[in-house]
Amino acid sequence: MKNNRFKLILIAVVALVSVWSIWPTYRDQELSRKLSSFHTSEDSLKFAIDHRAEIEQARDKSLKLGLDLRGGMHLVMEVDLFDLIEQKAWNKDARFQQIMASVRSSAATSGDSPVELLAAEFRKQNIPLSRYFYDIRNSDREIVDKLNKESQDALVRAKEIIRNRIDQYGVAEPLIQTQGARRIIIELSGVTDETRVRKLLKGTAKLEFRLVKERESMLRAIDAINAIPAQGQAPADSAMAAAAPAGQAPAAPASGRKLSELIGVMPNGVVFTPEYARDYVASVFKREDAQARLPQDTELLLAAKPEKTEKGEKYYPIYLVKKSPELTGGVITEAKATFGTQTVQPEVSMSMNDEGTSKWARITGANIGKQVAIVLDGAVYSAPVVQSRIPNGNSVINGIGSLEEAKDLEIILKAGALPAPVRILEERTVGPSLGSDYIHAGLMSMIWGFAAVAVFMIVYYNKAGIAADIALVLNILVVISVLAGFKASLSLPGIAGIVLTMGMAVDANVLIYERIREELAEGKLLKSAVDTGYSRAFSSILDSHVTTLAAAFLLSQFGVGPVQGFAVTLMIGTGASLFTAIVVTRVIFEMLVGRGFMDEKSFG
Amino acid sequence: MRLFQKTNFNFIKHRKVAYAVSVVLLLAGMVSLFVRGLNYGIDFKGGSEVVIRFAKPADVGAVRNVIGQAGVRGSVKQYGMERAVLLSTDYHGETADLKGLITRSLADRIPGNPAEVVSIQAVGPSIATDMKWAAMKALGAALVGILLYVGFRFEFKFATAGVLAIFHDVLTVLGLFSLLGGLFDFMPLEVDQSIIAAFLTIAGYSITDTVVVYDRIRERIRGQKPSEYERIFNESMNQTLSRTIITSGTLMISVLVLFIFAGPAIRGFAFAMFAGIVVGTYSSIFVAAPIVFDWQQRSKSAIKLRGTA
Repeated sequence: MKNNRFKLILIAVVALVSVWSIWPTYRDQELSRKLSSFHTSEDSLKFAIDHRAEIEQARDKSLKLGLDLRGGMHLVMEVDLFDLIEQKAWNKDARFQQIMASVRSSAATSGDSPVELLAAEFRKQNIPLSRYFYDIRNSDREIVDKLNKESQDALVRAKEIIRNRIDQYGVAEPLIQTQGARRIIIELSGVTDETRVRKLLKGTAKLEFRLVKERESMLRAIDAINAIPAQGQAPADSAMAAAAPAGQAPAAPASGRKLSELIGVMPNGVVFTPEYARDYVASVFKREDAQARLPQDTELLLAAKPEKTEKGEKYYPIYLVKKSPELTGGVITEAKATFGTQTVQPEVSMSMNDEGTSKWARITGANIGKQVAIVLDGAVYSAPVVQSRIPNGNSVINGIGSLEEAKDLEIILKAGALPAPVRILEERTVGPSLGSDYIHAGLMSMIWGFAAVAVFMIVYYNKAGIAADIALVLNILVVISVLAGFKASLSLPGIAGIVLTMGMAVDANVLIYERIREELAEGKLLKSAVDTGYSRAFSSILDSHVTTLAAAFLLSQFGVGPVQGFAVTLMIGTGASLFTAIVVTRVIFEMLVGRGFMDEKSFG
Repeated sequence: MRLFQKTNFNFIKHRKVAYAVSVVLLLAGMVSLFVRGLNYGIDFKGGSEVVIRFAKPADVGAVRNVIGQAGVRGSVKQYGMERAVLLSTDYHGETADLKGLITRSLADRIPGNPAEVVSIQAVGPSIATDMKWAAMKALGAALVGILLYVGFRFEFKFATAGVLAIFHDVLTVLGLFSLLGGLFDFMPLEVDQSIIAAFLTIAGYSITDTVVVYDRIRERIRGQKPSEYERIFNESMNQTLSRTIITSGTLMISVLVLFIFAGPAIRGFAFAMFAGIVVGTYSSIFVAAPIVFDWQQRSKSAIKLRGTA
């Protein structure tokens, strides 16, 4: 009996802790219902203000729903570490480019760290890494270590910058974590404008101030570029080819035509390309044979936004700029989206740190009368003519389409530039309406799952079935409370895990009861039949729970995203079932049998 | 209530029939795997899946035409939900473009029935390859783990036969997915991550049923002569028949509920689980224990017992 008292206390503690952990979830529901029950919004606002602390506390501690249930975005992004490695190389000859290309293609199907892949390729070609990276005296190992360190730093920095951007955009409880050597997982709930968020996350925000070359060399460069023979096939964007939007048909005629037909010079000397040819012209500018025809340390860039002729045709100005920037975005300390003083155009004004301010003063002082291009992620936003030396470190980006875009620009400039470009690899978006359907489906499965299993147990095992059902309720309570307590979220696969757990949790009781029936059939007394039943069934129960736990554990380790939710609830449920089946039902029996509430017929 | 009282089936005598059934099932599955292959979901092959919901019931054929004419290559099917269709495409570019294109063309061409894109899932090819590898690693690790655990708890022959039974179960279900894949609109039976989850759960569960039978054999075989083995195997299997079937039954109830109520996202998983439980229960009676018996007959030595009974 003393043993039983300990078990009873244990059960009571488990039950109390579970209820305590689920309580905020219940309160949260209750409060939300109350909030929406008021007739006027003033009343509900008043209630919200009066009960603010309570509402916030309940919400903070309540069970969180997964992205699939409340609607949201799940993104897996990849940091292009190859870009970073290229940035680190001080010698980029043809051989290097060729090696990088082959490493890039092998990385597309391998999850290995880019640095290791690169080192392996260099070893295969028998070239020391020091020919391209760091110091010539470094060994391969040292260089790999250094590059690895740089890559890890870049990943962490990218994560922090993305977190900054999301925080400033304003998403409740974002989840941002790194995965492996080059991936970042982002979970955002309740996002209304997915396109904007995607743009905000992907923008490298590499800001550069570059000198624009004088008109004569610009015109000469254009002549040189125009002399490139037309290629039969323009490099079509393969990703888009799968679903080329019908609305963008005019893009097609741009390819295959001579460049000289696509690039024009206006009477005022502005070089331009019409809107429909922009993508093609931009891709030509990036080609090596085109770049080889340009003067040393220069490149051609297009404007970020089109301008309009008097007739309303859109065109993009083209600039010949110095390849090496005079100043980069790292010196920016503050950015603010505003409207311009002379125009109503939105713009972003920026201020710089001390180092930037003095450099900026020197650059502007030395280039009065010349154009300085403000380049963001490879596109020219504006190229004002320097009027005078700027001593206070102020600068302005204009040529921005909307105030919203200016605000996003402010966010990414403040958060800083990403160390390398990022790409979206995987995206799962669930709208709130589908989410509420999933909630309904999940609830229905839980209710019906529980009802069906519970009724079956009572029908098949009589009073003993009731004991199993009590254990089952406790089991579900434990699963939900552990989820709420550890701030894990409940997703639809998680609910599937709970429903499955219901079916598995009673298995232990089935094993025990069948054994007890056998013992009773052999003519044993009830008390000793129960004892033998529990002890004999224990080994099978342990084996089955251990194997299920192992499978669920592996799934939680290897599985990604949605499947992890399933694995976690299955694991918690299996653990809880070991406790409820072996401890809880046994205590119930011993108490009931001891007081004569149960007899041989109670096991059906 | 009792469903299986005092059964007396001669399982061991008819084991050859069961072997034949299993071999036929497995062969059919394997042939289908080679000929038809598997229907991979976007998790493993990359691409995009878009769920579009209409305000009123929409004709899938009409939607298919509109989307095809908009230049999106892929399949359009009824999604297992009211007024919803599922577009699967190998597109993996900017999802915003895809979404805009679909919404625009549907609004233009089916004006009376507003459509909303309620879910987009896009998986790039590199991450799909990774997921495939991770799934294989998980399955492999699970099988090795279970072999080690059962090997530690039971004699080597029992453990090996148990793991063979797991292979049997998972391969049969995989074969079923290949045979039936794409036949039903309400469950496409695509192999994706959730199916791997089902396989792992089946692997964990299949051994549960097997262990129940093993436990009884081990308990009764202690100190018996090998000539008595056939009778003991049979009696043990009959004695545990009730619990084997009832435990599977309660789990089947849960899985059926999931299949019916949990919606199209879970349906493939529920189907895999259901098939896995049926095959797993069958295999623990007709495959695992008979293999141990045959192996035992051949080696002619008494079973060495290990662990607690």
